[in-house]
Amino acid sequence: MADLTVNDLALRYGDNEALKGVSISVPAAKVAALLGPSGSGKTTLLRAVAGLETPHRGSIRIGDNVLFDAAAKVDEPPEARGLGLVLRSYALWPHRTVFENIAYGLKLRHVRAADIKARVEGTLDKIGLKHLSRRYPHQISGEQQQRVALARALIYEPAVILLDEPLANLDPKLRDEARAWLRHLIVSLRLSALLVTHDQVEAMAMADRIVLLNGGRVEQQGLPVELYAQPATLFAAQFMGNNNRLEGSLVERADKRAVIDVMGVRLEGVASTTAAIGDKATGIIRLEKVTLGGGPGANRILMSLKAQMFVGERWELLFAKDALTVRTYVSAPLKHELYHVEFPPHALWIF
Amino acid sequence: MPAGQGCERGWGNRVTIASRYHRFAVIAVTALAALAPLSLMIYQSFLTEPVFTPGARFGLEAYRSVLADEDFAVAFGTTLLLGSCMVLIAVPLGSVLAFLMARTDLPGRNWLEPLILIPVFVSALVLSFGYVFALGPVGLLTTWLKSWTGFTPWNLYSFPFLVALAGLIHVPYVYLCAATALRRLDSELEEVARASGAPLWKVALDVSLPIATPAIFFGGVLVFFLGFELFGLPLVLGEPQGVLVLTTYLYKLPGRMDVPPYQLMAVVAAIMIAIALPLVLMQRILLSEAQRYVSTRPRATRAAPLKLGPWRWPAFLAVALWLAAAVLVPLAGLTLRSFAATGKEGIVLPGMPTLDHYRALLDHPDLVGGMVNTLGIGLIGGAAAVAFYGAIALAIHRWRSTWAPAMNFLVMVPRAMPGLVAGLAILLVFVSFKPLAPLRETLIPVWLAYAIVWLAYGVWLMSGTLLKVAPELADVARTVGANNAHVKRDVALPLIRSGVLTSWLIIFLIFVREYSTGVYLLGPGTQVIGPLLVSLWDKGATDFVSALAVVNVVMIGAGLFVAGGLGARLHG
Repeated sequence: MADLTVNDLALRYGDNEALKGVSISVPAAKVAALLGPSGSGKTTLLRAVAGLETPHRGSIRIGDNVLFDAAAKVDEPPEARGLGLVLRSYALWPHRTVFENIAYGLKLRHVRAADIKARVEGTLDKIGLKHLSRRYPHQISGEQQQRVALARALIYEPAVILLDEPLANLDPKLRDEARAWLRHLIVSLRLSALLVTHDQVEAMAMADRIVLLNGGRVEQQGLPVELYAQPATLFAAQFMGNNNRLEGSLVERADKRAVIDVMGVRLEGVASTTAAIGDKATGIIRLEKVTLGGGPGANRILMSLKAQMFVGERWELLFAKDALTVRTYVSAPLKHELYHVEFPPHALWIF
Repeated sequence: MPAGQGCERGWGNRVTIASRYHRFAVIAVTALAALAPLSLMIYQSFLTEPVFTPGARFGLEAYRSVLADEDFAVAFGTTLLLGSCMVLIAVPLGSVLAFLMARTDLPGRNWLEPLILIPVFVSALVLSFGYVFALGPVGLLTTWLKSWTGFTPWNLYSFPFLVALAGLIHVPYVYLCAATALRRLDSELEEVARASGAPLWKVALDVSLPIATPAIFFGGVLVFFLGFELFGLPLVLGEPQGVLVLTTYLYKLPGRMDVPPYQLMAVVAAIMIAIALPLVLMQRILLSEAQRYVSTRPRATRAAPLKLGPWRWPAFLAVALWLAAAVLVPLAGLTLRSFAATGKEGIVLPGMPTLDHYRALLDHPDLVGGMVNTLGIGLIGGAAAVAFYGAIALAIHRWRSTWAPAMNFLVMVPRAMPGLVAGLAILLVFVSFKPLAPLRETLIPVWLAYAIVWLAYGVWLMSGTLLKVAPELADVARTVGANNAHVKRDVALPLIRSGVLTSWLIIFLIFVREYSTGVYLLGPGTQVIGPLLVSLWDKGATDFVSALAVVNVVMIGAGLFVAGGLGARLHG
C-alpha cells in the first residue's frame, strides 16, 4: 500500500484538451472519488492512471514507483503498472467462466495452479459466488457480474484499484446495497481505490476524499463534508446537493459576508465572490436549508406556493415570485397561498 | 422495386394480395433458376450419352469411368491437400492481420485497408498471370535476380510454391471475417486484460482472438471452399508441372474430342457439388453462430486501439511483406509485362516501354467487344442482378412463414456449384432446350450463370440493406399521418438507397472479375474478359493476356475508386 500521486497531468485528444494539468493524491488505504459532469475528464484521468491513455505532460507515481513521467519519458505499459481495473460494463471475458475470469491475473503472474485454485475459491467464497464458479458471464445476473469483475481486479492484490462507475449498470435498489458492500470490502481489505462517478451521493458515501473535476481541471478537492458544506466555487456549490439559485446584484461586501439584491429584497449571505459592488452575483442555497418564516423579516421573500409534491418521506414545495422559483422540503403539506420564504444567512452562499 | 412488398410489420401492416402474388412469383422464379441447372446436371450424370443425344439412356457408366480414372483420384487428393494447406496459411495470417488492423495502432491502418482487399477484388486468374510474369522462369523478377546472382533463385512451377501463393492471396478472406468480428469487440475487454497484467500478445491470444473464434472458423471454412473451387491459379501455375485439381481436371476433360463428353463432365460436377453442399450449409450455420456469439451492446464503445509500442514498425514490416507477395509482385509483374517489348515466344526484350500490346488489343474486334461486353454485364447486368436479388430479399424480408427457411435454403443451393460447374450447368440448359438456342449468341446465358452463382451473396447483401428499415421507423411514420406510399417514398427508400448503390457496385466488381463461370459459355458474341483471358492463355497469347488483364484490373480499380468516393464500406 502506497500513495497514488498524480502531478500536473495534461492530455489531449486531437485538439480537445481533456485534462489541463490535474494534480491529485490518494493516500494509502483511502478511497478517492473523481466526481464531475460528463466531459469533465474524470474517466480520462482514470484511464491515464491505468496506462490506457498517454498524457503529454505531468507524472503519475505510486509511492516511489514512477508509472508515468512525460519529462523523463517514462511510460509503463498498463500490464506493468500492477493496478486493478473495474469498469462500468464489467468487461467480463465472455469465453471464460467465472473462475477463469478471476484466475487470469494470477495465471499471468505464474502462480502455481494449486495456489490459484485455493485463492480464487477463497475469493469466490468471500463474495458469495462459490456455487457459480463454472458459469459463464452471460449466465449470471448483473449484480453477480459486478462482484466477479471486482474479484478479478482484487485477486492479485494490486497497489491501487481503479473503479470506473462500477455501480452504474445496477438497478437503483441494488446500487444502494452494492455501494455499502463495496465500501465495506475496500475498507476491510485496506485497499487504495480511485473511483470515478458522476453521482455525488455515491461519491460522498463511498469516498474518504472527493476530487471534483470540471472541464479538465480540479475544481475542488477535500473531504466529502468539506465539499458539501464549504464549496469554494459556484460550480462546486451547484454540483453538490440540490440547490436553489438566486440571481441578483451585489450591494455590499464586508469581510466574510455579502448582501445581494434579489428583486428588490436584500439577502445577506456568506461571501465567496470577488465581484465589485453593483455587479451581477448569484446566491446558492440547498433545498433543505430554505425555511418558512411566520411573517415579514430579514432575508425573507414573500412568494406564492405553486406546487406541492409528495416524494415519500416528505413534501417538496415549489414557490414562485415572477421569474424567481424556489424549492424546499417540508414534512406536511401547506394550506395557504402566500408564504414568507426565508434564506438563513449562514446557509446562503453568494458567488 | 415491385409495387407489392411483403412485410407484415413495417411499411404497411396489412398483407395485400399483390404482396402475396409477388412473393410466390419470386419463389417460383428463384426455384427455377436455382434448381433447374443443378437438376439437369445431376440428371446428365446418370445418362450414358449427352442429354440431347437421341441414344441417351440411364446408366452408371459415366460414374464408373470417372471413378476408375487414376487422374481423377489424384486430382481429388490434390484438391483436398490444396484446400487444407490454404487454410493452414490463410487462417493464422488473416487472424493476426485482422487483429493488427482492427485492434492496434498499426501505422497506416487507414490506407492499408483497400490494399489488403485487392486480392478479393482482382481475380486469382489475373494474379496468377502476374506471378508468371514476375516470378516465372523468364519472369521479370527472376531474370533480374539471375543477372545479379547467376542462378535462378526459385522454381515457380512447383507444388509448394502453388500452395504458398494460393494461401497468401486468400488471407484477405479470413481477414474480412475476423476483422468484422474484432471491430465489434468491446475494447474494454482488452483493456481490463492489460490492466490485470497481460502483455499485448497475451491479450490477442487470450482475449481478442478467442472471442473472434467463430468468425475465424467461418473464414477457414470459406477459404477451404474457395480452395476447392479455385480454378485460375491451378490452371496457370499447376498445369505446366502436371498438377491437376478437380476444376482443372474438369476443364481438361474434353481434350481433343469433337463433342464434349457431357456425361463425364456432369459426373465430376456432381461429385464436386456433393462435397460443396455440406460446406455451404456449414458456412450458413457458422455464420449465424458467429453473429450470435459476438453480442453488441447498445452503448457505443470508444475505439481505443491497443498500443503496439516497440512492435509498431516490425508489425508494419510484416504486413508490408505480405502485401508485397500477394499484391505488389503480381500486379507489378503484370503491368510491367504489358508495357514490355517482346520478341519471339514472348521473350521480354530490353528497351523502352511500348503500347504495342494495347494497340494490338484494339485491332481485334473480338477483344474490343469483350471489353465492352464486360462493362455491359457489370453495369447493366449488375443492375438487373441487384433488382433480382432485391425482389427476392423483399419477398423473404421479415417473413414469418414456414416457407421462409425453405426459401433461404433455396437461395443458398446454387452456391454449392463452383463457378466452372455453374457455367457448365447453364450451358447444358441452353443446349438441351431447343427454344432457348437463339439466346446462345447473346450475353443472357452468361448473365444468368453469373446471377445464379452469386445468388446467395447478392440476396444476403440486399437483405442487409432492407434490415436498415426498422419497423419502428415505419410505424412512427404511419402514426404521424403518412400513408403506405409516403412511408415507402419518405422513409424506406432514403434508408435503402445507399445500400442498393453499394450492392450494385459490389456486384459490378464481382461480375467484372468473374472468369471461371463464363469459361464454358464463351462463344462468338458472348465474350467477356475473364473467360477470354483463359482462352487466350490456353493459346499462348501472353502479350494479349498481359494487356487485357491490366484492362480488367483498371476496370476493377475504377469501380473501387467510385466506391471509395461514395464512402461505401465494402464489408462488415
